[in-house]
Amino acid sequence: MERLLIVEDDVELCGLLAERFRSDGFSLEAVHDGARGLERALSGEHKLVILDLMLPRLGGLDVLRKLRAQSGIPVLILTARGEDVDRILGLEIGADDYLPKPFNPRELLARIRAILRRASPARSDGERLTAGDITLDTGAREAWINSRQVNLTSVEFSLLEEFMRHAGHVVTRDDLTQSVLGRKLGAFDRVIDVHVSNLRKKLTGGSAGERVKAVRGAGYQFVVRSETKNT
Amino acid sequence: MRSLFLKIFLWFWATVVLTGITLIFSFLLQPGGASFRIHAALGETASVYGRAAIAELEGGGPEAAATYLEDLRKNAHTSACLFNREGTEIAGHDCASFSRLVNAAAEKSAPAIAMRHGLVRVGVRLQGESGTPYLFATELPAGPGAAFGNNFFGLLLHWGAAFLVSGLICYLLTRYLTEPILRLRDASRQLAAGNLSMRAAAGAEKRRDELGDLVRDFNAMGDRIEALITSQRQLISDVSHELRSPLARLTVALDLAREHKGDDPAFEQMQKDFDRLNEMVGRLLTVARLDTSATPAEMKRLDFGALVAEVAADAEFESRELNCNVQLSGDNHIYVQGNSDLLRSAVENIVRNAIRYTAPGTTVDVNLRRRNSAGLARSVLTVRDHGPGVAESELANIFQPFYRIEDARDRQSGGVGLGLAISDRVARLHGGMVRASNATDGGLQVEFEIPAAEVTPET
Repeated sequence: MERLLIVEDDVELCGLLAERFRSDGFSLEAVHDGARGLERALSGEHKLVILDLMLPRLGGLDVLRKLRAQSGIPVLILTARGEDVDRILGLEIGADDYLPKPFNPRELLARIRAILRRASPARSDGERLTAGDITLDTGAREAWINSRQVNLTSVEFSLLEEFMRHAGHVVTRDDLTQSVLGRKLGAFDRVIDVHVSNLRKKLTGGSAGERVKAVRGAGYQFVVRSETKNT
Repeated sequence: MRSLFLKIFLWFWATVVLTGITLIFSFLLQPGGASFRIHAALGETASVYGRAAIAELEGGGPEAAATYLEDLRKNAHTSACLFNREGTEIAGHDCASFSRLVNAAAEKSAPAIAMRHGLVRVGVRLQGESGTPYLFATELPAGPGAAFGNNFFGLLLHWGAAFLVSGLICYLLTRYLTEPILRLRDASRQLAAGNLSMRAAAGAEKRRDELGDLVRDFNAMGDRIEALITSQRQLISDVSHELRSPLARLTVALDLAREHKGDDPAFEQMQKDFDRLNEMVGRLLTVARLDTSATPAEMKRLDFGALVAEVAADAEFESRELNCNVQLSGDNHIYVQGNSDLLRSAVENIVRNAIRYTAPGTTVDVNLRRRNSAGLARSVLTVRDHGPGVAESELANIFQPFYRIEDARDRQSGGVGLGLAISDRVARLHGGMVRASNATDGGLQVEFEIPAAEVTPET
């Protein structure tokens, strides 16, 4: 049984979810406040954290920020409907995906499976991908620009990998959502765009110019920089 | 704008000026009227001049009399004429004009008084030293004409000063009266526009008259309205928040029940209604947040054209299932100062609403363009469907939360009556507005208008 952590202050909801998850082969540990949730999330015992953004004591966004400073563990955030700003902020801080609350448990399980599938790829035979000055090691899931290692979250790494495999070509948002988030692009779904924007910021780093271009109405295009700059 | 001010001011001033003029006239323009004492005095004055003229005549002949009268005319600006008993001119200036007055004086012992060019004229019967009767007529510096004087510039100065002083006083008085009214009007407008914290200016509140009372009453009313609406909104927000937790549990519990008991049409129905409740609660919270908005949304310059294009693309994706399509046209490089999440949700709600109502197989037209009105650049988004439209009388109401035009149809189509309310609030938050109208050949047309930013993006 894979261990998951849920940080959510609604005790009864956690009980119901734990029961539901058990029948799908997950063991769900529930924690009901932010400070304790952060502590447990950092323990390394879980495959994934489900984090409610509205929490007593330490708020969900703060938990996420502190967690991301130390750990790359996949995080799925639960946001209240209508609180779009929190959702975007959560994704920007480094959550992998989100689900508006109240949610359908089947949907939650599907998203968790998609994240886990990507985060722990079965392939141990890591290959090295190179495009211009960027190098990826898909086995160790590490990325370098020139010789500087870039600290990417798991989603961002998958996104970059996807871009590099299709370097120079336009990749649609549908395809990106499917391959990176493991689900279909919903109407008015902007999760992938936030991840692209996060990745862009990390790649741009010191040197100017965008590596990932938005192609309006089509999707995104990864532009390879041919000459390596010594910085 | 300042028409009340202008009206009061002009009426006050006209009243003051007319009253002044009337006063002068009523005192002096009554030859046969009230002021007998003045008449007697006038006769007396005329007699003094007349006797002097007769003395000159009897002492030095007509030439001496003529010289005296000429001096009088030059020095005192008073023309006069001396006649013999029969009314034949002896000496003087412009004597023909006195003839009627002189005839009148010949027939009675009292002085005859007339008015010409605003000056009083007096005719008297006099006797010389020798006992010869004469008739003497003169104009005297009295009457409204005298008030004007003979000096044109002096006249202008006096009357101009009076005019200006009265104007200034009227202006100050009018301002004193209308300023609180104008401020009150401003405040009530803003209050009506939804700025609930608006109060009339503190200056007007200190007045101790009825206008001060009015301003204080208005402010008290504003406090009351604000308190009522705030508590109502707070209630909506609180209730929605509280509803969410049980809803979340119910959804999970339903799923568990399905796991244990298998699928059942009743479960399907429950699922559908949970989804509806979820949607409603979410939108209610959005409306409540926009209404209460304690923390103003973060505004920055953004490409509204790109945002609309994205929403249109998403809507196209959604509309395929509903067998209609979305057509985007117009200018696609319009920048605005705004909050992208709120704007996205506003545009989304309008477009989704159009998709919901447009007839199957038809197109929803989404058009974005710049419009300059009164020197202000506006970005105007027009979304038009080919559906049944909305009755004219209902057009203004569709932006109210939970407003239903046709109960049955709306529920059937799954609307919760909050989408357009959100768009309306977002538009107002951005200093714009939403309008709905029926297109000439059927279908509803919604116009979302907000101020546009500069054309050239700053990089």
